[in-house]
Amino acid sequence: MKHLRYATALVVALALGVTGCGRDEGGSGSGGQPAGKEIAAGKAKGEITVWAMGAEGEKLTELAADFSKENPEAKVNVTAFPFDAAHDKIATAIAGRQTPDVSMMGTTWMGEFAKTGAIDSTPTGLFDKSKFFEGAWNTTVVDGTSYGVPWYVETRLIFHRKDLAAKAGLQKPTTWQHFTEFANGMKDKGGAKWGAYLQPGGTGSWQSFMPFAWQAGADIMQDGKFTLDTPEMQKALEYYASFFKQGLSPTQLAPGAMETGFVKGEIGAFVSGPWHMGILREQGGAAIEGKWDVAQMPREKAGTSFIGGSDLVVFKDSKNRDAAWKFVQFLTTPAAQQKLYDLVGSLPSVQESWQSGKLADDPFLQAFGEQLKDAKSAPAIATWEQVADVIDDGIERVVRGVSDPATATKEMQAKASSIGTGS
Amino acid sequence: MASATAQRPARTGGNRGARVRRREGIAGWGFALPFLLVFAVFMAGPVLASFAMSFTDLRSADLRDPLGVNPIGLDNYVKLFGDDTFRQAALNTAYFVVVGIPLTMVLGLAAAVGLDAGITRFRTFFRVGYYLPVVTSIVAIAVVWRLLLEPESGIVNTLLGYLGIDGPNWLTDTRTAMPALIVMAAWRNMGFLMVIFLAGLQAIPRDLYEAAAMDGSNAWSRFRHVTLPMMRPTLLFGGVITGIGYLQFFEEPFVMTQGGPLDKTLSVAFYIYNQFGFGNYSYAAAISYVLFIAILVLTLVQFRLLRSKT
Repeated sequence: MKHLRYATALVVALALGVTGCGRDEGGSGSGGQPAGKEIAAGKAKGEITVWAMGAEGEKLTELAADFSKENPEAKVNVTAFPFDAAHDKIATAIAGRQTPDVSMMGTTWMGEFAKTGAIDSTPTGLFDKSKFFEGAWNTTVVDGTSYGVPWYVETRLIFHRKDLAAKAGLQKPTTWQHFTEFANGMKDKGGAKWGAYLQPGGTGSWQSFMPFAWQAGADIMQDGKFTLDTPEMQKALEYYASFFKQGLSPTQLAPGAMETGFVKGEIGAFVSGPWHMGILREQGGAAIEGKWDVAQMPREKAGTSFIGGSDLVVFKDSKNRDAAWKFVQFLTTPAAQQKLYDLVGSLPSVQESWQSGKLADDPFLQAFGEQLKDAKSAPAIATWEQVADVIDDGIERVVRGVSDPATATKEMQAKASSIGTGS
Repeated sequence: MASATAQRPARTGGNRGARVRRREGIAGWGFALPFLLVFAVFMAGPVLASFAMSFTDLRSADLRDPLGVNPIGLDNYVKLFGDDTFRQAALNTAYFVVVGIPLTMVLGLAAAVGLDAGITRFRTFFRVGYYLPVVTSIVAIAVVWRLLLEPESGIVNTLLGYLGIDGPNWLTDTRTAMPALIVMAAWRNMGFLMVIFLAGLQAIPRDLYEAAAMDGSNAWSRFRHVTLPMMRPTLLFGGVITGIGYLQFFEEPFVMTQGGPLDKTLSVAFYIYNQFGFGNYSYAAAISYVLFIAILVLTLVQFRLLRSKT
């Protein structure tokens, strides 16, 4: 009994300790900060610690070497780690105040981490935001303040079998109606089992769906409030689900089956990002060389696609802030961005990088470059991952016929509103 | 009175005895200290902190200033019971536990009895075979099972195809996803129970069986009236261990289905993981404590049901 009493006392003491320090309203981390102060002119000096994930992380040292050539007194230490570990690693670093100077940051994490108050706002006058793709720049803006710069981008296009389309006498789809006809034609005359594959739900399916929502004139938020139950959103969900209802897209597909189906000609088209160019070349090889193409997103009210990728941020606790921002600036020069494309195939966020070299010559890449001019991202709110999960869930319910679009959008709106924006 | 007099000789032993005892006490605590420190810092501390955390509105945005949060009392716990996804996760977990524990125990017991009585040849081979899944990494198991359950070319559906049955897409069909995971978990965990039960079976005195056979009881009634009662403590142990593990069911959906389709394989532990991932630390902590209580309750129920009736 005595032990129990001690334990209770301890818990109460802890609870009181917690009550003793309430949230200070409008204090640190509540966003809406002024733009960061300017950085000093001149060359970068000292050590800069940089965290980066995935393939970019592995090759970043080569870009860092170029930077050191230009700034002999600066030393860049790159730590590369896998994307899976990144979110927790950054969160832990922020909690322990052991952040690096610079980090690569997934665009959909910006809202969450900017809210912690650990990220430095972008210094005035260092970057010209009109040089970046607009959709990409918007991923850095949280509550009206920019907290970094876009590094590389990706967007979604319609991959399709050119040969099957020719057999069926189909042109690249340009409108929603065309896209439906296109998928039907691929199936009926082109000989594909599935006209056009769309992700039937599950993690990340919002990235496939949201382009159609934007095309219908819907949006995730407006003036700080969720707008997931608008008639436009319903219309988009209905259109998306029509592909499953008409048997144009499978509601269940094992991982990896989409690529093999496309190579075999069983799947006529699918919506995905630039990485699928590499996958198709690797898996299809000579068999489908020259038999596929990419098309811009179809238009309804707009022809918008999704923009993803990664941003670069500088942490507030950086001991070498000026040099850190100079390194970020270096990474967003057209030359460094083109080199990044050469090294790992990441698409540049700076529009100028697309006007020369390989990126200007390749018709597939130019198609992506064209679509990037009309591409939107998720809103940079702290609760985004959770709201995305709600949207994924709504999509799956409608696709599987568990809910109708009207009910699903209402549920999405109610759930998202109860989650809130985290501000 | 008796105890008081019994203690007197020790006390009359003088200060010396007490001093020795005190010194021994200090030495004891000294030896225990490394563990106690580690336990206090890495176990008790976080446990208490997370308990306190579950009464606040701590989110990932508060990472830099974790004490700058508001106490919200039981709000997280109240919210929990109105949360549809949590209710779905709780139902899924209950389904997994209610079907999974008996299935795993029956399979484990069957394998143990088979090895104990029937199979004399290749005994080691079977023992290794049944135990192998226990020591195999879940990631490797997931790869193999995904191949087995693959809808077009997997072995399961190919075999069903020979029988003229068009097998479902096991892992993406809302009706079959959970049963598929239960079977996989039972297969994976039965080896452990088999080893425990085998030890229990071998501890039953053989003369009990001889006596029963003399009295004319057949194999089934020997199993029913000798083996099972004698195995009661072992079965209890197996049930409790499996129950604790199954209530925290996480790895199978994590590697196989990601909780889908339509949250049909989302377990409570997986939901906690997701909530931590979303940055809702205090809410996730609250769910963790609810799960902890559920484990406690299930364990007590099992002790009630299976305690030896003497």
